[in-house]
Amino acid sequence: MKKIHKGIVKTIKEAAKNTVYMSFEPENPMEIKPGQFISILCGGLTLRRPFSAADFDGKEIAILFRRKGKGTNYLSGLKPGSEIDFIGALGNGFDVVDKKSLIIGAGIGIAPVSYLKKKLDSGILVGAFMSKDEAPQGISFDEIITNDGSAGKKGSILDHLENLIDNYKPEIIYACGPAVVLRAVGEAAQRHGADSQLAMEKVMACGIGVCKGCVIKVKRGGEINNMTVCSDGPVFRGSEVLWE
Amino acid sequence: MITDLRGLTLKTPIISASGTYGYNNEFDVFCDVKNIGAVVTKAVTLAPRAGNDWQRIFEVPGGLINSIGLENVGIEKFLEEKLPVLKSENIEFIVNIAGSTLDEYLQLARICDKNSIKAIELNLSCPNVKSGCLEFGTDEDALYEVVSGVRQEFSGYLAAKLTPNVTSIEKIAAAAEKAGANAVSAINTVKALGLKLQYVNGEFKKEFVHGGLSGRTVKPVALSCVNRISKAVSIPVIGMGGIYCLDDVLEFFSVGAEAVQVGTANFTHPDICEKLANDLEEFMQKNGFTQLDELKCKLREEVI
Ligand SMILES: Cc1cc2nc3c(=O)[nH]c(=O)nc-3n(C[C@H](O)[C@H](O)[C@H](O)COP(=O)(O)OP(=O)(O)OC[C@H]3O[C@@H](n4cnc5c(N)ncnc54)[C@H](O)[C@@H]3O)c2cc1C
Ligand SMILES: Cc1cc2nc3c(=O)[nH]c(=O)nc-3n(C[C@H](O)[C@H](O)[C@H](O)COP(=O)(O)O)c2cc1C
Ligand code: FES
Repeated sequence: MKKIHKGIVKTIKEAAKNTVYMSFEPENPMEIKPGQFISILCGGLTLRRPFSAADFDGKEIAILFRRKGKGTNYLSGLKPGSEIDFIGALGNGFDVVDKKSLIIGAGIGIAPVSYLKKKLDSGILVGAFMSKDEAPQGISFDEIITNDGSAGKKGSILDHLENLIDNYKPEIIYACGPAVVLRAVGEAAQRHGADSQLAMEKVMACGIGVCKGCVIKVKRGGEINNMTVCSDGPVFRGSEVLWE
Repeated sequence: MITDLRGLTLKTPIISASGTYGYNNEFDVFCDVKNIGAVVTKAVTLAPRAGNDWQRIFEVPGGLINSIGLENVGIEKFLEEKLPVLKSENIEFIVNIAGSTLDEYLQLARICDKNSIKAIELNLSCPNVKSGCLEFGTDEDALYEVVSGVRQEFSGYLAAKLTPNVTSIEKIAAAAEKAGANAVSAINTVKALGLKLQYVNGEFKKEFVHGGLSGRTVKPVALSCVNRISKAVSIPVIGMGGIYCLDDVLEFFSVGAEAVQVGTANFTHPDICEKLANDLEEFMQKNGFTQLDELKCKLREEVI
């Protein structure tokens, strides 16, 4: 089946401060796994906007996005019944393994990991936000960390990382969020002998690995190579990413 | 819609542009690639290239700036892995080649010739290592030397792809014709700087990309280039720059293009090449044009 689809918006609502939950039903049935993403045409903009699946019930795909600029503002103006044009499912999702896991979503990075959590038999879901009002509704967190202390533990995820790992002793950490957080998670996991899977972001054009617009440097088998976030990723092992 | 480029015959004049469509059938996930006129491959260089390190894509109103830095697998791997797919899938193709010295272009041309590649497009927008940062395509003499050299080595169809970053693209095109090119393609991307400033805690944070501009916003520049080139040469002109719909295609025909390439629009609408081929066919049928030449003549009745 071709990877270009039409979809009908089913639900669109505010899920947190400046954060929108949108679900839509693809015209033709399709599958999407945690960590995979879609890329939506936003009005007359040249580039489609990539968003991770935040949920999928076999029929409707949900995304969770933060309003940032033209593309996300366009999307937040859609209504139930609006048609969207999207490509997907893109990328490789998380490699879901049956191990003791810690799942970290920092900021809007919560989107893919909240879906992942549903596919894991067990796993501690940690949400890290600037403040309570940024935590999207409808997600059951095991731990919340807020910079201002308005919910859960006070501080940044970076302050609490070591404690979280000591407490839960994960064999694997899954994470999505800003690059500084992912880097810290990858390095902390390595120090503690745990595996890590990090969902990365880069500005994208084609979304299928052909334009080489979204490459990062990855070390595999002793060799350093460019890999595309859109098609080789977006999930990479923390131990293999060479940070910018 | 049989398209005769005098030495290369395509089933439709809609071609995918280099760097936006991969090497072969990658866009089959979105449409049927064998239904388009031809795929122009990503630029292939002699040795593999890792490309640039910094941010590579910067969106601007009506287009994007790219600085991919010619990341590609190199000619050897192209022949080994990519070419067989083009052949087995029956995809018409043109190999875009790029060198940083005259000798690299000649070697690439020789390799293409030896491997019976039917058509190549010379990407002449690469910096010429020998003359510092000057691009081959910005200097008539350097361009003449490359194109005529390649002509000696390559017996197939040879298109010279020109950069718009020159004072007089028509003079450059004339030099390509004189050197024995079968066609000229224009335009490559327009030199540009994407810049975004943010004032945070008393400091300006700068995000910027030096690169090439493409997409809707370059169409008027491209139309002007193609218009001037068509008046200066008698070989076919393959036009491109900002094509998004059938009207855009017709506009390029009207200023003299014999075929068109679609680049950036593939990122916006990844099935657009096949769609434009269908739209063109439908338009001609509906309006009683049986041959592409008939449509082109009609479009060129009033000279612009
Ligand atoms: C694989 C992947 C999954 C993503 N999943 C989500 C998600 O689930 N929820 C969410 O809120 N955001 C997600 N993002 C980020 C989201 O794509 C950007 O926030 C969005 O493109 C911003 O568009 P804009 O026009 O509103 O903002 P602008 O800042 O105006 O965008 C300008 C340009 O930069 C690009 N861009 C800006 N920020 C990013 C970014 N962080 N990553 C990649 N490109 C960017 C845009 O696509 C656009 O081309 C994801 C990004 C990637 C690569
Ligand atoms: C991401 C990207 C990569 C490109 N890579 C190449 C290339 O390798 N060789 C080449 O000759 N042109 C390359 N181009 C230029 C296009 O082929 C085309 O000439 C230009 O983008 C104008 O057409 P458009 O506006 O339809 O994109 C590239 C363009 C883009 C956007
Ligand atoms: S966006 Fe084109 S290679 Fe990733």
